[in-house]
Amino acid sequence: MSGIFPKLDSQNGLRRLWGGPNFRWNLFLLALLLAECVVFGAANAKFLSLNRVFIAAVGDLPIWFISIFVTFVMITGGIDIQSCAIVGFTSIVIGVGWQAFGMNIWTAAALGVVVATLCGALSGFFVAYCGVQAMVVTLGGSFLYGGLALLVSTLSGTAAYNGISGFPDGFKALAKTTLFGVVPLPIVIFLLLLLCAYLLLHRSKYGRKVFLVGVNPQAAEYSGVNARAVVMSTYVLSGLAAGITGVVMTSQLGIAKSDLGGNFTMMIITACVLGGTLSTGGKGSVIGTALAAVAITLLRFGMPLCFGINKQYLDIPIGVLLVVVVVGRAVAGNPAVAAWLGRLRPKKKSKAGA
Amino acid sequence: MNAVKKVLKAREMTALLFLAALFVVVGIINPAFLADSKNVANCFNDSVVYILIAVAMAFAIFIGEIDVSVGSNLGLVAAVVGTMLQDGKNWFLAFFIGILMGTVVGLINGWGVAVMKIPSLIFTLGTNGILRGLMYLQVGTKQVTDLPIGFKGASSYALFGLPLTVCFFCVLLAAAAIHGVLTRTKRGRYFIAVGDNAGGAELVGIPAIRTKVLAYVICGVLCAVAGILFASRAGQVTSQSGNGYEMKAVAACVLGGISLSGGVGSVVGAGIGAVIMASISALLVFMGFSSNFDSAITGVILITIVVVDALVQRRAAVRNRHARLAARTTARTGGKEAAEQ
Repeated sequence: MSGIFPKLDSQNGLRRLWGGPNFRWNLFLLALLLAECVVFGAANAKFLSLNRVFIAAVGDLPIWFISIFVTFVMITGGIDIQSCAIVGFTSIVIGVGWQAFGMNIWTAAALGVVVATLCGALSGFFVAYCGVQAMVVTLGGSFLYGGLALLVSTLSGTAAYNGISGFPDGFKALAKTTLFGVVPLPIVIFLLLLLCAYLLLHRSKYGRKVFLVGVNPQAAEYSGVNARAVVMSTYVLSGLAAGITGVVMTSQLGIAKSDLGGNFTMMIITACVLGGTLSTGGKGSVIGTALAAVAITLLRFGMPLCFGINKQYLDIPIGVLLVVVVVGRAVAGNPAVAAWLGRLRPKKKSKAGA
Repeated sequence: MNAVKKVLKAREMTALLFLAALFVVVGIINPAFLADSKNVANCFNDSVVYILIAVAMAFAIFIGEIDVSVGSNLGLVAAVVGTMLQDGKNWFLAFFIGILMGTVVGLINGWGVAVMKIPSLIFTLGTNGILRGLMYLQVGTKQVTDLPIGFKGASSYALFGLPLTVCFFCVLLAAAAIHGVLTRTKRGRYFIAVGDNAGGAELVGIPAIRTKVLAYVICGVLCAVAGILFASRAGQVTSQSGNGYEMKAVAACVLGGISLSGGVGSVVGAGIGAVIMASISALLVFMGFSSNFDSAITGVILITIVVVDALVQRRAAVRNRHARLAARTTARTGGKEAAEQ
């Protein structure tokens, strides 16, 4: 193990964590989360009920699950807008495999995850080995996999808009089970995925390669990294994440539909960017993405609950949040503003101390 | 002769040939398609909104950026103009306000991308959310359906019993005019120059930032016009109108031979790509497929075209490199070889 994961010197590690480029941003995200809790909690005490938050979180699963792996893709300088289509495709594969071909539900679920991974691999192959822009390939992928989901769904007896339902209780229990009576299993799965992603990206050789490819693919290639394989692998990972999301969502809703992934693409990209991932590649952290995804979910949950805002208007605050964050970061990165902030710094510190 | 060769070698030719082949193949499978000129004409008539939105997107892509807010921009303008017409307001006032809104959206996008230097995908994703939300505010769960008959009929009006509508000819003319300006005038070529090499363009005295902002403003205005046409053609506006058009516009541009890295392609290509995108579902019906195949086939076509294009270009690049190398080596030893021969 120690060969794969560099040894973690606790003191050094802590200092590195503190001084790390993403740490301060993660602190800001934590502050944002706290602020959301305080504001929404003050407006409506119902917001603070853990159960309700968990229910909202489970509803936003695609954002949570997929965004942490789309972070990998974005760090290599690519982008992935096909995941939502893959979620629906996985769901339909499970439903049709179980209903039309009489598979065991768990076999069907495994098949769904394999198909999703293959979808990711196909797009990754085109991006990495054919040199087509990631945006175009995954755009085509979102058409293709969404369309395939529709086509495959015609193999079942039910109309596409009704979806396939009537899954065994054992399968539905996957999402209904709660750990210690409070934490739903999907959240536990998410935490496990997050741990895997963290170890993979920030604590393994593979993760260093991902960053290196994002910073400079040529340099990576010259230093003996198989840059193409690394790029392709990130799409495989995001396909895998989409597949797992598909399984969990199908189990949670008890229904297999081709549009299960819904319109979460924008939220997923927002979570990655808000989490500090550079869309040009080379920088990002899964912890930041996860925090941002939680912040988005709280916003989507708190706004309707506390301020009676219709769910359909939620695109506005999230759009505003995204624009404000990127503009704010651009302003802060401006040399003139940075110099001005530098002059302010001593004052700021005393403020923070007080 | 030279001009003919140039036309044949143009990147848009692939798209045009593909479109023609598509029509012919469908005609062979189902002769009823080509028997009535109306079928082909309808494919063109139905594509006016797509053509405008693809040309709008082409401006953003020319400068090496992207604008994913075009669908929401179109929808919002359609909703606002539709509501005003429904309430019996003056047409020109409604159009003016619609186009003004498109301009403002373009200015905001241009400011964020060119001045603040924010990655365009991220910034326009944000404005996309805001616009979509505003559209819900405007339309809500209701629909804008009570549009004046004259307004609804305007876009399907045809002269002299031609199968093609006046509206299509206008859009065609506008696209041709834009193509002329982009390729024949100094300022028009700025867009391609900035997209090809922003730093280089700046060094030779092209105002790169101003050009980028202008590209976004043109994009916004074209979206607004597309929105008005959309309201007229569809006859109704819901809160979902224009949803996903940004993806179709990107697909149309890519099909038309525009490179997403900027600086390559033409608005004519975007227009041809848009016709292909708009025709696919109608063509599938004639080929006897259900509409379920629609997006899968779109995806296959899109991926095939871009992958083939990328492979062809890579081969061309390798061949060029070899040719350069060969030229350099013969330049050194060329004298001797020539003498021997």
